[in-house]
This record gives sequence, structure tokens and C-alpha cells, in this order.
Amino acid sequence: TVGKIRAAINRCPSISREKLLDRVIQHAELIYRVSEESCSLFEEMFIPFELQLQRNQAGYACITKALPIPSSRSEIQQISDKWLLHSVLMLVQSWIEPLVYLQTSLNLYDVAPDTLLNKTKWVSEKLISLEQGVVVLIKKMLDEGLLTTNSEQGLFQNDAQPEMLESVMRDYTLLSCFKKDAHKMETFLKLLKCRQTDEYNCA
Amino acid sequence: MGCGAMMKSVMEVLLLLMLFFTAHAKEKSYSPPEKPTQTRCRSPEKETFTCWWEPGSDGGLPTTYALYYCKENSETVYECPDYHTAGENSCFFNKNDTSIWVNYNISVVATNALGRAFSDPVDIDVVYIVEPNPPEKLTVAVMEDKGWPFLLVSWEPPHKADTRSGWITLIYELRVRLEEEEDWEMHHAGQQKMFNIFSLRSGGKYLVEVRCKPDHGFWSEWSSTSYVKVPDYFHREKSMWILVAVFSAFIFLILTWLLHMNSHSLKHCILPPVPGPKIKGFDKQLLKNGNSDEIFSALVVPNFPPASTSKYEEMLVEYLEVYVLEEQELMLEESKDLLDGCLKSENSRSDSDSGRGSCDSHTLLMDKCGETKEEERQTNRESSLIETQGWKEEAINHDTSGRVKTWPSVYSPLPQYGSNPLDKQSSLETAKQHSLSTSSFLTQAGTKDALGPSYTDFCFSNKQNHLHPQTLAHRELQTRSDVNISNIGRKRSPATEYVEVQRVNKEDMVLLQPVVSRCGHIEGCPNLPKGEDYSKVKGVDCDNRLLLQREGTGEDVCPLVDQETNGEGGNCYTSSTVSTTQKPTACMYTSMPLQEETALTLNGYVDTATMSNLPSC
Repeated sequence: TVGKIRAAINRCPSISREKLLDRVIQHAELIYRVSEESCSLFEEMFIPFELQLQRNQAGYACITKALPIPSSRSEIQQISDKWLLHSVLMLVQSWIEPLVYLQTSLNLYDVAPDTLLNKTKWVSEKLISLEQGVVVLIKKMLDEGLLTTNSEQGLFQNDAQPEMLESVMRDYTLLSCFKKDAHKMETFLKLLKCRQTDEYNCA
Repeated sequence: MGCGAMMKSVMEVLLLLMLFFTAHAKEKSYSPPEKPTQTRCRSPEKETFTCWWEPGSDGGLPTTYALYYCKENSETVYECPDYHTAGENSCFFNKNDTSIWVNYNISVVATNALGRAFSDPVDIDVVYIVEPNPPEKLTVAVMEDKGWPFLLVSWEPPHKADTRSGWITLIYELRVRLEEEEDWEMHHAGQQKMFNIFSLRSGGKYLVEVRCKPDHGFWSEWSSTSYVKVPDYFHREKSMWILVAVFSAFIFLILTWLLHMNSHSLKHCILPPVPGPKIKGFDKQLLKNGNSDEIFSALVVPNFPPASTSKYEEMLVEYLEVYVLEEQELMLEESKDLLDGCLKSENSRSDSDSGRGSCDSHTLLMDKCGETKEEERQTNRESSLIETQGWKEEAINHDTSGRVKTWPSVYSPLPQYGSNPLDKQSSLETAKQHSLSTSSFLTQAGTKDALGPSYTDFCFSNKQNHLHPQTLAHRELQTRSDVNISNIGRKRSPATEYVEVQRVNKEDMVLLQPVVSRCGHIEGCPNLPKGEDYSKVKGVDCDNRLLLQREGTGEDVCPLVDQETNGEGGNCYTSSTVSTTQKPTACMYTSMPLQEETALTLNGYVDTATMSNLPSC
């Protein structure tokens, strides 16, 4: 029976690289879209208009700013495929735990609408599956094996209970930073795909 | 030279200085520049971006502007690298200087001789300030889909936006309108670069424009307009509609004409006329006038219910129904008419059963008759006589409803032929009982004066006589042991004469004999009936028909039986009161011949009402 199972596994056709990349990209797109909607919802409900214009005020910088992630087009053009993938993985892994924290924080609100809570919950779930997809992709494309455990847990510090206003601003910062990073993931993956198909025109 | 030259030079310098200062003193007040305002920053393709500002008042002095920025979480302040590419009061950041997902903190500084002014800092992220150029190369073509045209619109993204690599994702929107109209029709095209527009007006000229937007950013400007003209296709449609209209108008005319022709019958079909009341004597006008008395008096039909009493006697006579054996069924049928006549005022219903019990059913009777017939032949005459007596004896049974019918009673002792006389007696007795029970309703009805209220009495009166007949029967039996059977009936009317069956002659005819012997016993000897009221039994012919004779004179016939039964006249038979009508006689006998054999005894009267069954031949 073990032999049969092995034979079955061997016969099972694996997904091609292109299809896998497509699915990962779709995943990232969807995560970005939902995170954008969540951020807008949060802004409407909790953030006064004046503060909306000023993103990332001092003291609420994005948690992933320390990550060595390319941030300009020219940089990205120069970066290698491997580095792109790893950047994506780093981003994904660094956001898994903060999203959980964000969920618990939002649940403490009295007037948080269910749509917002559902969206953030959905995003945190999908992010985990995105991580798994990227790991598989790395394995396929780079022939590397990687552990899926969070190695970036130390990145996020959970301070003691802040005040209400502070927690609102903190959550807002978290949401907007995540939105940005989700866009990064999506962009990197798309660039990667372009490079797979047409190496020379993906400027 | 000396001091003078130095003084001159000093004087000139002083003069110059004075001029200079006076010149300055004459101008308006100079001030430091106002704070410049940053209007917007835009990036067309997410790779470069430009910021514009609006200068304030320069304070009268030449003012210079400088833009400084620092990147997110970095203290290094940079100055704008390019002030010229994007025009005046702008700063252009090229690819190398543009970082995505990084916040820029930008400030503009205005400087003049007297001071500086700083604008408010602005935080921007290049990703969120993308405003692409409008789409390019918009083409519109008219295509055809099964005879109906549609517009095929296609375009290309702005050449600077790198959508192919996925660096920037654009969504498109287009708008269409007719040349002569003002409202645009918007269509959202998503990420596709072509679109179909349906529902076009034939022969119209359309304007089409398209614009785009990144997934988060600003809408571009509308592209340049494309014009297209849709060819005429409508006339093909129109001619068909004209045909349809003409045809339907034609049909409509025909229908109208048909309707007009048949309007009357249609009206009857759809709205049938309401039947008015058709009560005889009912006057609608009276009803409208509202006088109910008049209306209902008009409804009263004269001569209803019939008040004449004379008819009752006729009816009295008519009810006789003689049931005989099978052979005499004809008689039976005839007698039924009488019966019906009697009862018509009380809505007689003559069902075939005639109210007979099952025991006395006609069929059963017939069986019995059949048996008896046979046995008659077998047995002697006497037995047959008895039998016939029994038959006769049954007289008339009438049921509770007042109908009078003659029943052939079926007696259990009947079949006993020639048995002990006791049986005979008993049979006779029962026969008498039967007969008596039914007796003489007619007789009573014969009284003319008793008619109205007594009508019912007439019909139902027999019950009273029930007992009496029994005793009567007894006596009868005693006195006449063998043969005589008397029909007993009671009546209040003037006496009737009774006839008894004397014997049955050879031909099986019933010989009736007026009851004479007991005449003295009875008190109320019935008077001689008026001749015209009674019919005389002439005899019985071979067909078992009782022959009645109309005679004015009647002989004294004393009632046979029972004085006690009635105080009036005993059980006198009332002969059928034919009176004016011939019906009973007609019913009762079919022929008038007086048969010699029967002439002997038929000088009495027979009460047709209580006529017993005649023996079968």
C-alpha cells in the first residue's frame, strides 16, 4: 500500500510554474484589494479628515521599514529574481502576526462594523496561504527549501495597552502600512512574471 | 595733491551714498515673501513624479524658491534635483530619485532679500499620486451582429504606463453620446482595452471618449474624441411595421363590421334578458305602486281550492280499486283511475306500489292467486267459494294515507282447502277484518254534506270501524257459516244496501244477494238509496267483472252484519254513488248484459267501494 500511495503521488501531475505564479499573483491582488477596502472603511469611521492627509506620522512608522526591500523602480529593475521572491516572502512573513494583533484590537472597538472585522479576518487568513504559495514558488523556481515558520516574530513589539486615541492611530497606521506592503507584494510578483515570459522588455 | 582730491572723492562717495539711500527711501515697503503653497504632486507612471507649488506674494523683492524634501525616517534633506523640466514653480523627480512605497516630506521655501517663507510640509507616497495620461489610439468601428449594428471601441494605454509588466494596473472607462445630445452614456470597461456598444440609433453620429485610472490613484483626462456614424438600417424595420399596422387596421375594421352585424345576437348571448315574473294575475304596476294587498289579492285564483262538494262524490266513487288476480289486472288498472280521481285534491300519488305492504304485494297476490287457481280446479267448489269469499272479503284496504285500494289479502289459511270449518271461519274472520278495516271510506264520503272537513275523515275513518267489523265478522260467520260474505261498510249517509255473496256458480261467478235476513236486527236500516246514486250489480261476467246496472229502484237490502258498528245504519253498504257520473259503472263493468245465470241474485246493490275481489274464472 505504501508503494501504491507513492505511485499515486508520482502520477499526480504537479502544477506548472506559470500556473502557480499566476495563482500567487491573483492571491496577492485580492489581498491588496481587500486591505485597501479595510483601510478606507477604517478611515471613514475613525479618522478625522485632517489626520488622513498625514500618513505615517512620527512615531507610527511602518513596521517593515527596516526590511531591506527595494523601493524604487530602478532598484527593482536591478534586483534579481531570487531577491524579488525573497523580498515578497519577507514581507508576507512579517505581517502575519501583526494582522492577528490588529484583529484582536479591532474586536475591542464598540462600533467597529462587521464588514471591517470580516475583511481583516479574511486578509489574515489569506496571507497565510499566500505565504505557503510563495514558499512553494521559491522551491520550484529557485530550488530552495524553506521553512514556513515565522522567523520575523521579533519585528513586532506589542506595547502595553495604549490609550484609545493612540490605539486608533496605531491601528490606522497598521492598516495603511499593510496596504502599502500588499501592493509591494503584488508588484514584485507581477514583475517576476514578466521576467519569466519576456526577459528583455520588462524594463 | 593733497586732501582736496580725497575730499572730492569722499564727497562723491557720500553723494552717491545719499543718492542711493534716497532712492531706496522712495520705494514701497519691502517685505519678506509670503508662504508658498504646494498645489499638487503627480506621477504619471509611478516611476517619476512632479510637484507644483503656487508662490505667494514676493514682497517686492526678487524671490527665489527652493524645494526640499526628506525621505521617510531619514533625516537627510535633499533639494529638488530638477526645477526646469516640468515648468515653472515645479520640481521634477526622475526615476532615480523616485522611491515607491516611501513617504516623502516635501517643503517649499521662498527666499528674498528680506526673509524666508516656508510652505506647509506635505507627505506623499508616490503610489497614491499616480495620475496616468489618457489612453491613446482610440478607434471606433461599426460592426454588425445579425443585422443589428454595434460599435467596437478599442484603445491603448498611455505609452508611458508600464502595464505590460504589471508595474501599473489600469482600469478604463468610456463614454458615448450622440452628436445632438448632451448627456453621456458611461461604460466601465475594467482592465480590457476594447468594448462593444449596442442599442444604436440608426443613422446617428456618435462621440466616444475613454479614460483610465490606476488601481489606486486618480483618473486620467478624457482622451481625444472619436467620431463615428452609424449607417441607416431602420427603414427596413419601418416598412415591416407599416405593413403590420395596415394589416391590423384591416382586421380591426372587419371585426368591427362583424360585431355590428351580430350585435343583437351577441347581446343576447352575453347579456341574456332577465326573465320577468310571469305570475298569472301578477301586475308589475301594482308592485311598483307598492300596495301589497292589491297585489296579493290579484294573485288569488278564483275557484281554488275547488269548493264544490259535488265532485267529492264522484271522487268517492272513483277511488275504488279492485285488485284481483292476474287475469283481472285490467280491472285493476281501471280502478286506479278512480282512486286517483278521489285523491287528486290531496295530491294523490299513485305509485306503483299503491301503498301495499310487502305481504300484500301484487305479485305475491298473483302467486297466491295462481296457486289458488290451481287448487280451485282441484278442489271443490266450496273451497273455491271460500277462497273467493276470502278474496272478496278483503274489500278495500286503504292505507293510512287515505288512499283506497282494494287489496287482495293474502291469508295464510287460504290455501287450506277443504279443511276444517274453523279454519274457514278464521279465514273468513280475518278476511272480514281486512275488509272491515278498510271499509267504507267511500261510503262516508258519499255524504254530500259531510264533505269539506270530513274528507279526511272519509279517508281515514275505517280505523274506527276496525273493531266493529270484527265482531261483525264473527256474527257473520256464525250466521252464515259457509258462503255468505258480506261486505261491511259503515256510513253515515243514508242507508245503503248490502249485498252478499250468495254463492259462486259454476262459472265461478260471484252471486250477490242482498242481505235481507237480518234486516230486522238492525236499527238503522238503510234507506233505499236513491236510484240514481247507486248502481246495481247486475252480475259478474265471465271475465270476472262486476256488472253494475244503473237502477233507480233499489230493493230493500238490509245490511248484513252489524248493528253495533254504527249507529247510523250499520254496516250498510253504500252502493257506489254513481250519481251523475258514469265512471264507476264504466269502470266496474264493461258490459251490460245481464247474464241469466246471475240474474238470480243480483238484485241487490253493490257497494263498489267495498267490492271484493271477484273470483277468477
